[in-house]
Amino acid sequence: MLFRKGWKARVGLMLAVIGPGFITANVDNDAGGIFTYSLAGAQFGYSLLWTMIPITIALVVVQEMASRMGAVTGKGLSDLIREEFGFRVTFLLMVALVVTNFGNVVAEFAGVASSLELFGISRYIVVPLAAAAVWLLVVHGTYSSVEKIFLAASAFYVCYIIAGLLAHPDWKAAAVATVSRPSVIGIQNYGYLFMVIGLVGTTIAPWMQFYLQASIVEKGITARQYRTSRWDVILGCLFTDIVAWFIIVACAATLYATGRADIKDAADAAQALRPLAGEYAYLLFAAGLFNASLFAASILPISTSYVVCEGLGFESGLDKKFHEAPVFYWLYTLLIVAGAGVLLVPRFPLVHVMVLSQVVNGAVLPFVLIFMLLLTNDRELMGDHVNSRAFNIVAWVTVVVMIVLTLALVVTQVGGGT
Amino acid sequence: MSIVALSELLGASVRDASGTVRGRVREVAIVPEDHLTRIAYLIVRTAEVERILPIGAVKSCGATVRADTDAVTWDRYTPSDGVLLLKRDLLDQQIIDVHGRKVVRVNDVEIDSTPVNSHLLLNVLAVDVGARGAVRRLARGVVPAFTLRALLERIPPRVIPWHFVDLLETDPARRVKLKIAYEGLSKMHPADIADIVEHLAPAEREAVFETIDEEVAAEALEELDPRVQVSVVESLDSDRAADIVQEMDPDAAADLLGDLTEDRSGEILREMQPEERREVTQLLEFGQHTAAGRMTTEFVALSETAVVDDAIETLRSFEGGYEALATIYLVGEGKLTGAVPLVKIATSSPAVQLSTLSEPYITCAPDTPEDEVAALFDKYNLITLAVVDEPVRLTGIITADDVIAMLRHD
Repeated sequence: MLFRKGWKARVGLMLAVIGPGFITANVDNDAGGIFTYSLAGAQFGYSLLWTMIPITIALVVVQEMASRMGAVTGKGLSDLIREEFGFRVTFLLMVALVVTNFGNVVAEFAGVASSLELFGISRYIVVPLAAAAVWLLVVHGTYSSVEKIFLAASAFYVCYIIAGLLAHPDWKAAAVATVSRPSVIGIQNYGYLFMVIGLVGTTIAPWMQFYLQASIVEKGITARQYRTSRWDVILGCLFTDIVAWFIIVACAATLYATGRADIKDAADAAQALRPLAGEYAYLLFAAGLFNASLFAASILPISTSYVVCEGLGFESGLDKKFHEAPVFYWLYTLLIVAGAGVLLVPRFPLVHVMVLSQVVNGAVLPFVLIFMLLLTNDRELMGDHVNSRAFNIVAWVTVVVMIVLTLALVVTQVGGGT
Repeated sequence: MSIVALSELLGASVRDASGTVRGRVREVAIVPEDHLTRIAYLIVRTAEVERILPIGAVKSCGATVRADTDAVTWDRYTPSDGVLLLKRDLLDQQIIDVHGRKVVRVNDVEIDSTPVNSHLLLNVLAVDVGARGAVRRLARGVVPAFTLRALLERIPPRVIPWHFVDLLETDPARRVKLKIAYEGLSKMHPADIADIVEHLAPAEREAVFETIDEEVAAEALEELDPRVQVSVVESLDSDRAADIVQEMDPDAAADLLGDLTEDRSGEILREMQPEERREVTQLLEFGQHTAAGRMTTEFVALSETAVVDDAIETLRSFEGGYEALATIYLVGEGKLTGAVPLVKIATSSPAVQLSTLSEPYITCAPDTPEDEVAALFDKYNLITLAVVDEPVRLTGIITADDVIAMLRHD
């Protein structure tokens, strides 16, 4: 009896804190992420699987800092940046965040549209409906009900694992490729290097850190519960990268094996899988994409509005009336309406918006990561929860590598986009 | 008299009596123990060290600060706890706007500068929480000063006068030195305090609940979301927590203690006064979602033979929540025998026997589920409902506000 009570209490505690880390890590596998993983598998087979372990470590390191800061200070990342680094820095950062997140919102709605177009449903029906659904969910949901829906959406990523199984990959080759060192010849190849950068670039985005820290605060997790909360982050990152691993494997086993590397977006990957991995794998890929895109489209606009309003001192919160928090509601509504709307504009230069958004993303990320490192080393702020020496070494290496790779991505994007 | 913005003062170059630039303003300090609004000194970053420029030596301030003493006479600055530094403690930080009853972030600070005998008196006037302060800080150094000034004139100010500002300070020792007592906050309605507290970080919540009067704290705590209640009580030491919890309505206190870990609620119960502890433990034994879990044991019950005057006498000394007084209950030989609405007592002459005023009343058993309780309130339009156990013994009452809270939280 005693044992059972202890076990139950522990699971209860776990379930009580699980959520923010798990959800944030999963949203990371959004339309853009799924496309990048598919392309990596289609173009390079299993040979890029080695990136998964370092990427997971980097993800855990960065997310852990955000959630620890949220638990210890009880404040959002934008609040802390404002309080420690002043108004001007915060303002510029927020403007950049709105630009890059707008690009992300557009990408998510594009994912929603293209996934349902596979089933022959017009985007002129899908996109407005999806935008309305997102708006309603967030405005009428409470934190805990929304969190449950998001957790269910996270679980739905299992789709990709099943699709991976259906693709009948060579498990042994995939496993070996995951733990072996990258080949030197591969790294000298420009396309290969570009893909590595792309994989890393889609994994850690500025908005995630703001969102994660805010959700930890909103959930009321404190320094006391933080030990358990850390597992939420670690499990979330693991699950996310296992899903990514299966996407790469599924595409490697089918598209790469048959030389079909010319996919243009994530929906295209699903389409290409159809004759190779069968109807079910195709359906799972398409449904997974729809889920992932809608999921990310629900989170991005609202989290952006919160972060910006809190950092700049505007009233925010869904418990306020429209006239009490006009900036908050306008920003939220505009991100959804404009983000979904541009997809319905014929001949809209979508690619240029995406490239711009990626560039701003890359420009913002170094600042956000460095701010996070400075903040988590501030003893006045974090008390005994400052980074340990060993953690700092890992974190700085991660951050420097991330910054170099992201800047490289930006350079190649600008070079390739014009 | 003119107004200087803190953001203009920070970074301003400082000239001493010789007219040479000696450094730049890094901080602006108030010593609350001496004066609550007056600027005591500027901290100047000179080439070698940071020095204190006493305000008595300042002749003029703006883009340049002129002093009438030599830089060598300015003391070296050493950090001190009892000093309020406007940049560090105020700028970009959150404060409580007592008048507007909300938490806001400071964009700038307005300082009143009045010349007195060739010197300046600087007093903090207000904090700027609007677009004017924001634009000033964004554009400063980027846009020419006169253009900026003209631009700022056009932006309507949104300022909070200094006496409506309550600072948030999480260090208790510093709170005392800076004379932060949350006087303004304490005067607010408990529901407003609760709203504000929900917007604060845990450490700041703790600061508020440690500082404000226990009774106000108790009422505010009752208004908080149960999850936040728990986190606040967890953060307080059990002595202080007990002081607050025993001021709460026993039913609310029991609900709260029921949400804590057993160790923690035990600690708090031990620190409470024996009488309050008895009431709360009694309530804790019932299920939270039953009539007994929702009832309060603070009500007025009088003997059948009592008269109106006795009732009024009892009301005078009653210490519980006023909502429980809507009905006065009558008991005889330990059993509930009648219920008299307060209105009837107020409108009857002092000698009238209460039993003659009694009206039909509704009761329920302690284990009645919440939803049935709500249904009874709805059906009979109740304000209070008596909870009785087996031999019709009155154990507690449920009031309408409990039912509203219960329905809202489902």
